[in-house]
Amino acid sequence: MSETTVKEDKQQVAVVEERQAARVLTWISENGIFIFTAVLIIFALIFVDGFASLINITDVFHRAAPIGIVAVGMTFVVISGNYLDLSVVAQVATAGVILIAVSNSYGIPLAILAALAAACLFALVNGTAVGVFKANAVIVTLSTTFIGLGLLRFFSGGSIFFGPPDGPIRAFGLGKIGPVPYSAIVLIIMTILLSLLLNRTNFGFLVKSFGVNEQATRLGGTNTSLVIIGAFLVTAVAAMIGGFVLAAFSNTAVSNDGVGYEFEALAAIIVGGTSVFGGRGSIYRTFLGVIFVSVLTNILVLFGIGFGYQQVALGVLIVLAVSIDALGRKVSKR
Amino acid sequence: MSQTQTISLGAAAQEGLWGRIRTVASRRTEGRGLALLAVIVVVVALLEPLVFTAYQVTLGRIALVGLVALGLTVVILMGELDLSVASTLAVSGVIMASIPDLTLGILAALATGLIVGVINAFFVSVVGINSFIATLGMLFALRGLAFVISDEAPVSLTNKDAGIAFGQPLIGPLTPRILIFILVFIAIQVFISRVKAGREFFAVGGNRQAARDAGIPVTRRIFTGFMISGFVASLAGVINTLERTTADPTAGSTVLLASFAAAIIGGNYLKGGRGSIVGTLIGAAALGILQVALTLSGVQVPVQQIFIGVILLVAVTTDPNSLRSVAGSLRTLRQGRAKSPGS
Amino acid sequence: MRKSRVTFAASMLAAAALTLAACGGSDDSSSADAGGEETAAEETVEETVEESGDGEAAEEEVIDNSDGPFEVYALLPQGNDQPYGTTYLPPMEEKAAELGINLTITNSEYDADKQASECEVAVAAQPDGIILWPAVADSIRPCLEAANNAGIPVWITNADVNPEDTDLTFGYSGTDSYGQGAASAEMMCEFADGAEIGVIQVNGLTGNSVATLRGNGFKETVAELCPNVTILAEQPGNWNKDESQIAASEMLTAVGPENVQGIYAADDTMVAGAIDAAKAQGLDLDSLIVTSIGNTFLGNPLVEAGELDGTVFQSSSWDGENAVVGIYRAMTGDTSLGRDDEGSVLYMPNPKVTIQNWDDPAVAPEW
Repeated sequence: MSETTVKEDKQQVAVVEERQAARVLTWISENGIFIFTAVLIIFALIFVDGFASLINITDVFHRAAPIGIVAVGMTFVVISGNYLDLSVVAQVATAGVILIAVSNSYGIPLAILAALAAACLFALVNGTAVGVFKANAVIVTLSTTFIGLGLLRFFSGGSIFFGPPDGPIRAFGLGKIGPVPYSAIVLIIMTILLSLLLNRTNFGFLVKSFGVNEQATRLGGTNTSLVIIGAFLVTAVAAMIGGFVLAAFSNTAVSNDGVGYEFEALAAIIVGGTSVFGGRGSIYRTFLGVIFVSVLTNILVLFGIGFGYQQVALGVLIVLAVSIDALGRKVSKR
Repeated sequence: MSQTQTISLGAAAQEGLWGRIRTVASRRTEGRGLALLAVIVVVVALLEPLVFTAYQVTLGRIALVGLVALGLTVVILMGELDLSVASTLAVSGVIMASIPDLTLGILAALATGLIVGVINAFFVSVVGINSFIATLGMLFALRGLAFVISDEAPVSLTNKDAGIAFGQPLIGPLTPRILIFILVFIAIQVFISRVKAGREFFAVGGNRQAARDAGIPVTRRIFTGFMISGFVASLAGVINTLERTTADPTAGSTVLLASFAAAIIGGNYLKGGRGSIVGTLIGAAALGILQVALTLSGVQVPVQQIFIGVILLVAVTTDPNSLRSVAGSLRTLRQGRAKSPGS
Repeated sequence: MRKSRVTFAASMLAAAALTLAACGGSDDSSSADAGGEETAAEETVEETVEESGDGEAAEEEVIDNSDGPFEVYALLPQGNDQPYGTTYLPPMEEKAAELGINLTITNSEYDADKQASECEVAVAAQPDGIILWPAVADSIRPCLEAANNAGIPVWITNADVNPEDTDLTFGYSGTDSYGQGAASAEMMCEFADGAEIGVIQVNGLTGNSVATLRGNGFKETVAELCPNVTILAEQPGNWNKDESQIAASEMLTAVGPENVQGIYAADDTMVAGAIDAAKAQGLDLDSLIVTSIGNTFLGNPLVEAGELDGTVFQSSSWDGENAVVGIYRAMTGDTSLGRDDEGSVLYMPNPKVTIQNWDDPAVAPEW
C-alpha cells in the first residue's frame, strides 16, 4: 500500500516539476529578447573596454537609428502575414537622394513633399498588388525594388549628392541630447507612435487580425485592401524617415545607400519576437531587437573581429534566439 | 417505377480528349508561367532572334538561375523556404577551391551542401523554428564562413585547366552545366511525380497535420527536402567555380531572389502544397530569355532593371486568382455604392 | 499520365518556338540599342556562335568599318549604380560616338558569374570588339579564351587581368588599384617621417577586388617602407560614408583614440566619414595624418581645408575614354594580341594630391 502512494507522490512531484520547468521556459521564450539584450549590455559594460563611453553609446545609437526606424515600420507588414517588404532598400535610397538633391536646389519643404510622394507611390503599388490582387508579397516587393532602383539610378545617375556643410540637414545629423543623437530620438518617438497605432487603433487591430486569419478578416466585411495598403504605407513612411536620418548623418546620399536593410530589419524584427507567420508581435519588441543587433555588432567591432566572423556571429545568434523562443513555445504547449 | 433523375455533369466532366484536357489544365499551376513564357518567346523572337540562334548561351543563363531554383522548389512545395541557398553556393565553391585535389574538393563541396540541408532541416523540424528565419540565419552565417575560409578574397582552383575544360561544350554545343541542369531537372521531376516519397512532399506542404495523420513521416521528408535544396545549391557552386576557375565568396547574391522569382512565376505557391518542377523550369526559362534579350538589346542598364521589375509585377498580379479577387472587390464596391442611396 | 501529356505539350510548344525562331532568325546581328539604330551588315553570324575550344589562336583581324559603325560590347562591373561608374560612362559614350562605334553596355555589379554569362552573350553577338573591365580578375580567363577563339579583340579597362592572362588581350588602359593603395601608403610614410605611429584602416566592400587590391597595396607598402607605422585596426566601410563613419568611430574606441595618429581609407567618400568620426571623438585633425584615394568632389575640399592630408587622383574620364580609344586601336590593327606593341599598356597616372596641388586643374575632381 505504502509503495503505491510513494510512487504516486513521486509522479506528482515529477509532474509539478515539469510544469514549473515549462513555465520557466515559457517565461524565457516570451521575455527572451529583454533578457538577451540586458545580458548583452551587462556583458559589454563589464568586459568590453570603451563600451560605456559617451562616444560609443552614441555610435550604437547611430547604428541603430536608420535601420531601427525602417524595422519598426516594416513590423506592420510582417504582422499582417506578408513576410517582409524587400523594397525598403530602394525606398531608403530614394528618400535620401530626394532629400539632399531636391533640397540643394529647391529647399527642404519641397524635398520632403517629393519624398513623401515617392513613398506613397511605393506603398500604393505594393499595397495594391498584395492587397487587391492578392499577389505574393515577396515577389511584388522584389519587383518594386527593381523598378525603384532602376528609376533612381536612371534619374540620379548614381552620383553622390551632398548637402551644404552648414545646412540644417547637417545640423540635424550632428545634433544630440547627451549621448542620444536626434536620429535615435526620432526612432524612440516613432516606436511609441507606431506602437499606439498598432495596439490602440482599429487599423492596427485589423492588421493583426489579417495576419492571424486572413479569410476571417476578409469575411468580416472590412475593406481589407485598404488595411494592406495601410501596412505598406506605414513601412514606406518609416523607410522614408529612415532614409532622411541616414542622409542627415552623413550629409550625403547615393543610390546604393541602405544596402542590406531588408534582411537586417527582418532579422531585428524576428529576433525581437514577432512571428514571421504574422498575427503576433509588438513594436517595442522590434525596437529591442534592433538594439540587440546593434549592440552585438558594436561589441564585435570593438573586439576587432573581422567582417566574416561578424556575419557568422549574427547568423548563429539569430538562430539561437529564435530556437529558444520556439523550444519554449513547444514546451509550454504540453 | 421511379423516374431516374439524370444529373447532367458540367463541362469539365465531359469525356473525351477535350474534356480531359480541360480537367487537367484547370488543375495545373503552370498556366500563367506558360503564358508569360509564350509572350516573351514571341516578342524576343521578333526583336532579338540571336537569343535563340545562340541558344546555348541562353540555355546557360537559364541553367544559372534554374539549377538553384529547382532545388528551392522542392522545399517550397513542402511549405518551407530556404534562403540559405545563395550562401551555400558561395561557401561550397570556396571549400572546393581551397582543397588542392579536385575530386576531393568537389566531394567536400557537395557534402557541405548536404550538411547545410541537414542543419536547416534540424532547426525547422526538430527545434521547430520557422524556416524563413532559420535559413535567414544560415544565410548570414554561411556567408560569413565563406569570407572567413577564403580570407575575403577569391580563391583560385589549383587545377585551372580542369575548370576551363569544364566550360567547353560536351555534347554538341551544350556545356556540362546545361547537361547537369537537364539531368537534375529530370531527376527531381521524376522524384516528385513518380517516387512515393516525393509525391508526399505535396501533402506535407498542403496540410502538414493531415499528412502526419495519414502516416507520412513528415520529419524525414523535411530532411530530404532541405538536403536536396542544399545539395543542388552546392552543385551550382561547384559548377560556377569550375567554369570561373575561381571561387568567389561573394557569389550567389543575385541568384537567391531570381530563383524565388522563377519558382513563383512558374506557379508554385509559397505556402506549399501546390506547384511543380516544370513550372519552375518555365519560370527560369522566361527570366533567362528575358535577361539575355535585354543584354543584347543594348538598352541602358537601369532601364533593363525597370523592365524586369515591371514584367515581374505584371506576371505576379495577373494570375487567375488575382484577377478573380480584383473582380470580386470591384463588384462589392459597386454593390456597396448602389445600396447606399435610400436603401 | 495526364501530367506527362501536359509536360509533353509544353515542351512541344517550347520546341516549336525555338524552331520557328531559328528558322526566322536571320543572320543580321543587329542589336537594337538605345539609339534605335539598325546596324546592318558588318558581322555575319553565319559562322555560328560556337565558342568551342578548337584551340586555334585568334588571327589578327583588321576590321574594315567602311560598311558602317563598329559594334563593341563593354562588359563592366559597375555603371550608374556607383559614382565612379556614373562619370566613367559619358566620356566613354562620347568618344565612341566620335570614333563611329556602337556601344552595348552591361553592368554585372561585380558578380563574376553574371559577367561570365554576359561575356558568353557578347561573344555570341559577334561584335567587332569587346571592352572588358573584369569583376574578378581570377575568373576572367574563360571569357578571354572564348573571345579569342571567336576572333574578337579584347581591350581591358580599369582593372587589369592576371599576368598569365595578358597574352590573351590586346591591351590595357586603367588604374592600378594596388598601386593606388601603395601611393596612399607612400604619402602616409612621408608624413609620418619616421615617427612611431598607429593608424586605423577603412577598407572598401569586403570581397570586392578593388577593395582587396587597395587594402593589400596599402598594408604591404607600409610594412615595407615604414615599419614604424603600425596598423592598429581595419574594418570595411563598404564605400559608404555613414558606414565608414561608424566603423572608424568604433575602431577609435576599440584601440583608444589617444593611440591613433593616422587614418587611411580606401576612397575619399569613406575618408570623409572617418574624418567626421575623428572630429566627433574630439581628435585634433591637424595632428592626424589622413590619406585616401580618389580626389573626388567630396575629397578635394577636405584637402583644401587641411583635414585630408593626401589623396590619389583617379580620373574616370581618362578611364572611359581610353577604353574606347584602346578597343578602336585593337580593331584597326594598331595593337595586336599579346600586348607586344607600343602603347598597348597605358597606366593612368596616380598623381598624389596634397595641400600643395589641390587646385591644380590637372587633378580637378571628376566624380
